[in-house]
Amino acid sequence: MATVVTLPRLSDTMEEGVIAKWRIKVGDKVKRGQVIADIETDKATMEFESFDAGTVLKLVTPEGEALPVGAPIAVFGQPGENPDAAGAPAPKAEQPEQADKPEKAAEPAKAAAKPVEPRPQPESQDEVKAAEVSAAAEAPAPKATSTGPEGQVDRGRIPASPVARRLAREHDLELAQIQGSGPHGRVVKADVEQAIAKGPTARPAAAAATGPSEHVPAASLPPGSHAAEVDEYGRPYISRPDRTVKLSQMRKTIAKRMGQAKREIPHIYLTMPIVMDKAVALRAEFNLSVDGTKASLNDLVILAAARALRKHPRVNAYYTDNGIVERGDVHVGVAVALDDGLIVPPVRFADQKTLKQISIDVRDLGTRAKEKTLKPEELTGSTFTVSNLGMFGIEEFCAIVNPGEAAILAVGAVQDEAVVEDGKIVARKRMRVTLCSDHRVFDGAESAKYLQTLRKLLESPLALLT
Amino acid sequence: MPILQIRQAIRDAMKEEMERDERVFLMGEEVGYYNGAYKCSEGLLDHFGPKRVIDTPITETGFAGIGIGAAMCGLRPIVEFMTFNFSAVAFDQILNNAAKLRHMTHGQFGVPMVFRGPNAAAHMLGSTHSQAFEHFYAHIPGLKVIAIATPYDAKGLLKTAIRDENPVLFLESELMYSVKGEVPEEEYLIPFGQADIKRPGDAVTVITWGQGVPVALKAAELAAAEDLSCEVIDLRSIRPMDEAAIIASVKKTNRAVVVYHGWPQGGVGCDIVARIQELAFDDLDAPVLRVCYEDLPMPYAENLENLILPSPERALAAIRRVAYKR
Repeated sequence: MATVVTLPRLSDTMEEGVIAKWRIKVGDKVKRGQVIADIETDKATMEFESFDAGTVLKLVTPEGEALPVGAPIAVFGQPGENPDAAGAPAPKAEQPEQADKPEKAAEPAKAAAKPVEPRPQPESQDEVKAAEVSAAAEAPAPKATSTGPEGQVDRGRIPASPVARRLAREHDLELAQIQGSGPHGRVVKADVEQAIAKGPTARPAAAAATGPSEHVPAASLPPGSHAAEVDEYGRPYISRPDRTVKLSQMRKTIAKRMGQAKREIPHIYLTMPIVMDKAVALRAEFNLSVDGTKASLNDLVILAAARALRKHPRVNAYYTDNGIVERGDVHVGVAVALDDGLIVPPVRFADQKTLKQISIDVRDLGTRAKEKTLKPEELTGSTFTVSNLGMFGIEEFCAIVNPGEAAILAVGAVQDEAVVEDGKIVARKRMRVTLCSDHRVFDGAESAKYLQTLRKLLESPLALLT
Repeated sequence: MPILQIRQAIRDAMKEEMERDERVFLMGEEVGYYNGAYKCSEGLLDHFGPKRVIDTPITETGFAGIGIGAAMCGLRPIVEFMTFNFSAVAFDQILNNAAKLRHMTHGQFGVPMVFRGPNAAAHMLGSTHSQAFEHFYAHIPGLKVIAIATPYDAKGLLKTAIRDENPVLFLESELMYSVKGEVPEEEYLIPFGQADIKRPGDAVTVITWGQGVPVALKAAELAAAEDLSCEVIDLRSIRPMDEAAIIASVKKTNRAVVVYHGWPQGGVGCDIVARIQELAFDDLDAPVLRVCYEDLPMPYAENLENLILPSPERALAAIRRVAYKR
């Protein structure tokens, strides 16, 4: 049957468009995806690629005339078919955009009254044949407007398995109301069975009688709708609505403080690779010989970072307009990821603690952070922060300085790497740390020196046990 | 009940029929003094003598033709091909004489005979000896095509084949001659055109036959571990085909996978898919998939052959797909 081609919405804000130029004429065979017209929108002139295939029976709209989105512009069908049978001038209810805007739909009816003059068709036999073949190949592709088997009108063929169609039919359910879980959103038997279990989703006519909202349970999943884009088989992708999640207090705090930090603190980032073979061995030996806790590599990093801070007091500081405050104590905050957010409880006096004590503290803070049993005073007071994402396989990253501190150490994964030493390639366990710091407090060179100290401590880690 | 290998069930079927009907005789390469290339005719020469157990030269066209002539004259030959791959040499005899003489002579002559032997790929036999012939023969009106996967089916169907009034292609498997199973001592016949549900289930119908049966059963076992219950239908008789059994199962499960030896284009697998979509369209929840050879001549190299043969893992992947599991 003949298909009415309507003016497409080519941009989000497009209300109306002008056919700048027709690229087809009456009698042409059109393939799906073929450019059939240049259309001027509010933004630009764009090529209109046909959603439909068929022979051009009629061009409804002349070039240069402004039309509302959804207005009929052409009719495709089989050669010899009566274009007016498709009802081109009188827009039908199945075209949703027109149904939305009845006042605009009246306009194209006038436009349709003066069809474009058909141009001569100097077409070779071969071209016609080739076009026919491709048109035949496209034939099963969905039509923008088609009529369902029972004569009810739908917006496009909904992908559904045959048994799903039959079940929906038998239970008087509308396929369009059922979310498809199969490939490309195909509605499969399980989806229909679920819909049956949920109770009847009445057809539109029945819905009007019973009230619009009664038949859809409020708590049901967003059903998704068919997007305008289609896959290579012409089946629409499923578009689902956005979801707004309320801000938790923790999210609000993170948003406020991170926003403040990025606005106020000029960040500088320096990355240092550190060979961790000895640190890894030391930790293994430590865990074999020391009872009462198991130290992680991160505990070693915290200890080394704290000792290095004692040597570089400027890194353990914060900025005020009246002067830079170098902190007397070293309290290293440890970033702990929670389900929705993170908190940074400090290991207090970390520079003076043993590896064992740091390990015990970190474990305790981490456990109680996840239980949400830390007291407020246990969550504040850090002078520097260590954030480790190595366990996720992150090699290196940049973090944001916590307001009230001058730097945060972003720690990546320890990985086996090929390293050149004395002209030879050797396998080494390497880790990359990035010192992210407030450039107002100190400069790149000071940051580099701090990282050198840190590297020395971690590459010759026995010093950490003194 | 005695436990027999498929080769013994085949021998017993031939022996019983030769004892029952003196018109039945066996002919083929190595069937006599060597007792059969796969020992399916063990002891038959000693028992029946060289007049009824005949060693032929390597001339498939010749002895297939002699068999057809003998059948036209009232005997009931069993012609053994050392493999159905060699039946390609006798294809014209089977296609144009065995299949057509009853039709062309308006029933004046019939061809009541059996062509039997191993079919399809075995293990590293190369491209010319690893082909599945049911796809050629099941295409031809006038022939009946049987493929067996258990000793019980082998005996019951071979006896039916020997007694049939028309030419029957009886397909066995080199790799499955030692498969064991119970075979009743008392006589029984299995009619053609009856599929056998080798494993009941309700989530996915797996249709198979011959060498595909163990593959499908293994895949069904793997699927069961994932809580997917497969119904494995062994067609046994490919022509005539038990369409009703296939359709009844698909109406129950709404999904089907066909597992078989043979290439994807044309052939029995396509035929089954066509019947399902024709007769159970409104019951399908997923496209019907086939698991068969890749569309290539069979390579000799073992690693490549393994990639081409239908495997339980490939069958399981298809089962998952039609069930929309990952």
